[in-house]
Amino acid sequence: MDLNRQKLLEAYEMMKTIREFEDRVHVEFATGEISGFVHLYAGEEASAAGVCLQLDDRDKIASTHRGHGHCIAKGVEVKGMMAEIYGKQIGTCRGKGGSMHIADLDKGMMGANGIVGGGPPLICGAGLAAKTLGTGGVAVAFVGDGGSNQGTTLESLNLATIWNLPCIFVVENNGYAETTPSKWSVSLSGNAVDRAAGFGMPGVVLDGHDFFAVYETAGEAVDRARNGGGPTLIECKLNRYYGHFEGDTQTYRGPDEVKKVREAKDCLALFSEKVTRDGTISGADLQEIDDRVMQLIEDSVVEAKAAPKPPAADLLTDVYVSY
Amino acid sequence: MTTIGILANPAAARDVRRLIARASSISIAERCAIVQRALTGLGAVGIDRVLMMFDRGGIVSGLERAIEHHRRDVPLRWPELEILEMPVTGEARDTLKAVQLMRRKDAKVIMVLGGDGTHRLVAHECGTIPLVCISTGTNNVFPEFQESTVAGIAAGAVAKGLVDRNEVCRQNKRLGIRVNGQPQIGALIDICITSDNWIGSRAVWRTENLRELYLTFAEPDAIGLSSIGGLLKPVGREAEEGLVIELGPCDTSRQKLEVPIAPGLIEPVGINGVRRLMMEEPGRIRSRSGTVALDGEREIEFAKNDTVEIVLERDGPLTVDVSKVMKKLATKGRLS
Repeated sequence: MDLNRQKLLEAYEMMKTIREFEDRVHVEFATGEISGFVHLYAGEEASAAGVCLQLDDRDKIASTHRGHGHCIAKGVEVKGMMAEIYGKQIGTCRGKGGSMHIADLDKGMMGANGIVGGGPPLICGAGLAAKTLGTGGVAVAFVGDGGSNQGTTLESLNLATIWNLPCIFVVENNGYAETTPSKWSVSLSGNAVDRAAGFGMPGVVLDGHDFFAVYETAGEAVDRARNGGGPTLIECKLNRYYGHFEGDTQTYRGPDEVKKVREAKDCLALFSEKVTRDGTISGADLQEIDDRVMQLIEDSVVEAKAAPKPPAADLLTDVYVSY
Repeated sequence: MTTIGILANPAAARDVRRLIARASSISIAERCAIVQRALTGLGAVGIDRVLMMFDRGGIVSGLERAIEHHRRDVPLRWPELEILEMPVTGEARDTLKAVQLMRRKDAKVIMVLGGDGTHRLVAHECGTIPLVCISTGTNNVFPEFQESTVAGIAAGAVAKGLVDRNEVCRQNKRLGIRVNGQPQIGALIDICITSDNWIGSRAVWRTENLRELYLTFAEPDAIGLSSIGGLLKPVGREAEEGLVIELGPCDTSRQKLEVPIAPGLIEPVGINGVRRLMMEEPGRIRSRSGTVALDGEREIEFAKNDTVEIVLERDGPLTVDVSKVMKKLATKGRLS
């Protein structure tokens, strides 16, 4: 694995930024200042970071309703994202998209998506474009276990296979499709990865809390896709720390379920413990990142709150695109 | 009451080797069907109870569904299925705990469905309970491909005493390992020292990173790390010795060998030396940092201040030779 000190620090900063961003949105949403819904990604950071650190500017991703982590990992600017969630004019989508529709095409981020299973068809298009134009680009769709059941996802697996597209489908199985356990909603006893074989596609399952496992596996999938090997399905088994949406009372989860996961499987804690063990990276190095991230998030919230909302005159701007 | 344990790993055969080497996958539905066929075999020889642990992968859920949905007009001649009462974490320690409970509940035989890694964990805790090994993993060297119906009959026959277990069981070797003096779960086939810094996706396939290889046995027709020894200097499963091979990058090594390092992947390996590993001979690895792979999976990261010691031991698990059992049963007419 090509993980030098610089790359490890980058990975930590990415995961820490996602965590602090989500923890802060959790707090701010409770004040009532944020409109609409938010679905938080805290706990799942290793998946977004492990995959996106294997991508470059040629590559595209499509996300889900739980998209903040993917946006940050693909390089979308954090202050713009926070402002977008607040519905402000300086937001990534000028305040008109909100949490579930953050997109930044310049960064290869094709959008969070309010449609469950909405991302996979998009990456088939992106993958076909990359293949046709010969850019060497790869397209990645993140879907949840619920999204993996959608016809759009299954059709996309088929399409990506028959066209041998440079596509990677990352199923982030956090155990619940909204409130329904994946064992009850996903065939093959809750294992989306087993569907890959039905499409003649390699499928890999891994511990989505383990950055190193995700990073190495994603690297192989990306190499394979770039070299004409075709699509891959990766299922990351992981956990979300918050409810399906903010305000979800989570009566479908065990009383200590999240507490136990936080104690035993926290991706940031596992990562920190590993990289500091042999002294290559020190606790002080990580603390420096923590401080920088905390300041960034604080500034993001302050600036987002102070920014103006889009004026009524902007209602129809940026809604339709002319080709 | 005669009891059998079944340990079915839901996670085997789904790692990164599907991507890099076209390794096969076995779905949870198929694993569930394998267990059902084993239950049929066990029921045919009169086994009363089967112990299994609940798994997050869905094998037991599938079994329970199969029992619930079976045709009422067709008698289900399966043993009673008892799910072990234990917390399930989805980690390797579940397997260790389950085998401990199977011992406590007097399982006479344990059927293992998994690859080399699963068998390694079961072997660590099974004591003198014989294992019936069914391969559902990737690099399958320790377990063999067996039809589980027949394996179930054989397991049941040993458990019921229809055959003399001393005549049909093999005593296997194993490799013990200590890190900084602390014993770890050993290996059944190989311990490989690699220059990888991280455990990552666990599988071992980058041959340029291999540094030292310790083998209990090495067969020329094997797949995976032990094929290196098998193609250099074969050692039998029952031989009173093992093998140590010094490895390195091909361009700086004395000899190059093409080996089937994973299903669908033949790669060159650099060889710097081969020697016999004698029973109980203590040894310390030479590498200063990297990872230790146990039976083909990176499990331990070590750095320059760590010491790693490896020793070949006789006290590996007992395994049932299914073919021998069936021949004995045929000869004695025990199934008629």
